[in-house]
Amino acid sequence: MYAVTPMDAPVVDVRALRKVYRVTERETGLAATFRSFVRRRYREVLAVDGITFHIDAGEVVGFLGPNGAGKTTTLKMLSGLLYPTGGEATVLGHVPWRREGAFLRGMTLLMGNRSQLVWDIPAADSFLVLKEIYAVPEAQYTRTLDELTDLLDLGPLLHKPVRGLSLGERMKVEFAAGLLHSPGVAFLDEPTLGLDISMQGRIRRFVAEYNRRSGATILLTSHYMDDVVALCRRVIVIHHGVLLYDGALADLAERMAPYKRISVTLRGTVGDLSTYGEVVSSNENLATIHVPRAQAAERTARLVRELGDQLADISVEDPPIEEVIDKVFASERPLAEAMA
Amino acid sequence: MIRIYRQLLVAQIQAAAQYRIQAVLWMLFSIIRPVIFLAAWTAVSTAQGGSVGGYTTSDFAAYYIALTIVGHLTTAWNSFEFEFEVRQGRLSPKLLRPLHPLHYSVVENLVWKVTTFLPLMLVCLVIALTFQVKWSGEWWHLALFVPSIVLAAALSFMIGWVVATATFWLQRINTVNTLLQRTSFIFAGQIAPLALMPIALQVISYSLPFAYVLAIPAEILRGGVTLERGLLYLVGQAVWLALAIVAYRFAWRAGLREYSAVGA
Repeated sequence: MYAVTPMDAPVVDVRALRKVYRVTERETGLAATFRSFVRRRYREVLAVDGITFHIDAGEVVGFLGPNGAGKTTTLKMLSGLLYPTGGEATVLGHVPWRREGAFLRGMTLLMGNRSQLVWDIPAADSFLVLKEIYAVPEAQYTRTLDELTDLLDLGPLLHKPVRGLSLGERMKVEFAAGLLHSPGVAFLDEPTLGLDISMQGRIRRFVAEYNRRSGATILLTSHYMDDVVALCRRVIVIHHGVLLYDGALADLAERMAPYKRISVTLRGTVGDLSTYGEVVSSNENLATIHVPRAQAAERTARLVRELGDQLADISVEDPPIEEVIDKVFASERPLAEAMA
Repeated sequence: MIRIYRQLLVAQIQAAAQYRIQAVLWMLFSIIRPVIFLAAWTAVSTAQGGSVGGYTTSDFAAYYIALTIVGHLTTAWNSFEFEFEVRQGRLSPKLLRPLHPLHYSVVENLVWKVTTFLPLMLVCLVIALTFQVKWSGEWWHLALFVPSIVLAAALSFMIGWVVATATFWLQRINTVNTLLQRTSFIFAGQIAPLALMPIALQVISYSLPFAYVLAIPAEILRGGVTLERGLLYLVGQAVWLALAIVAYRFAWRAGLREYSAVGA
């Protein structure tokens, strides 16, 4: 009997989830190699250190962290591939690592660098296999495939053997394969990895549209901040397996970077602009100044007024999200007060 | 499940169709060893006046042709495949689906056997004519052979899965596979029919599962067993299969806890 999820229960509910890997360790060199035959040394690597978060139905959440932060390990635990060392989690009311049929039919894990399709046959044939495995009714299958074909422009790709597709084309059919059974939860691990700018945009638009149409809950990891900015209002940041931030992306920017960035282009060489704010870069006729958010308008007006004809161009913007996230990683401590 | 199998079969046949020549070459490769032993025993038998330990030249030919057919129908490479899939990160996508990875292997295995069975039978026919084989069985030998070969194929397949699960702990299981193949080579009746082996080796052979995969169904097919003994062998095969299934279920559950989903 499967657990029943109350209507208002989070779709993804993670409590003090922990994963420790035991890895063999040895020094370099032939002698060390021989020694390791006799006496093997192990080291414990703490990949995920007791993280807790909840995701409600229909949310699109960005899961951020540098390489080795524990993002993929968390996604693997939440999709039932890995057993945790400690803690609890439910996804759609199921404990993922029990790998119950109803759970597996209700979720998908898409990894940007991995293929789940049979390489030697066209995607359309793999889709038919998936249709039967997930017991998708005929009418629903046709409707979903039509919709995915339309959203991803799959038409010309469905009948070519998968091995003949380009990386971008393959990613599109991988997406379709992962979503054919209309999962209620989608874990997307670097879905735009290695794709060109145009294909990244296409996948982003697709994910947003899919979420809008299906109401699916999405947890997404990406190193491309454009993905996160375009799709996620909420982000969860982890580093060294510890949760550093869980909240609105906009709040994160305000908290970690309480300044605006003013970029000025002058007609002549840049002089001393330090009276306007912190000059973070200056190069011939270009300069970037950080000013406190509250004073951005006043400082900008002063710049325009005082530089007069010298000023060729001026722009005021939030600092790039990469910079903000870097500051969170650098802090290496939870922003507890932000995680209300 | 029938619908899933039907669709998996279609997909696997499509995939296999692209590697027809490779499939036939593997099949031909697999019959080299029994043919070599057949030639050797024929020479020994001829030198000893046409018979060794009650086996005539024709009996040897019948045994090794039966062994070739049985070997083909019971071969299982799932442990090799499994290790490859784990290391390449291809197991994870299968684990994410509501279908046990075992089913993909069943279909792959069946498709290869079915698609290469006809050329195999042609090769066996040529060997049978060359060595002037005379089948000395009864109708009930064929009736016994059907459940025997099904049990043998299932046993071989499940042994493969038990070995495959070792990948969860060892990452590489080539040596385990090689050890198993060498043991099977000695104790499964590949060097000689079991009846010609020293008593001690016979006892070991009947105590291990390997003969129940190869030698026993081969002896049944060539008509070399009594009805009572044939039925007893079927029981032995069923017991080994049950043991293999229990071992597999235990190892699979424990192994999944160890799975680190590397590379995926």
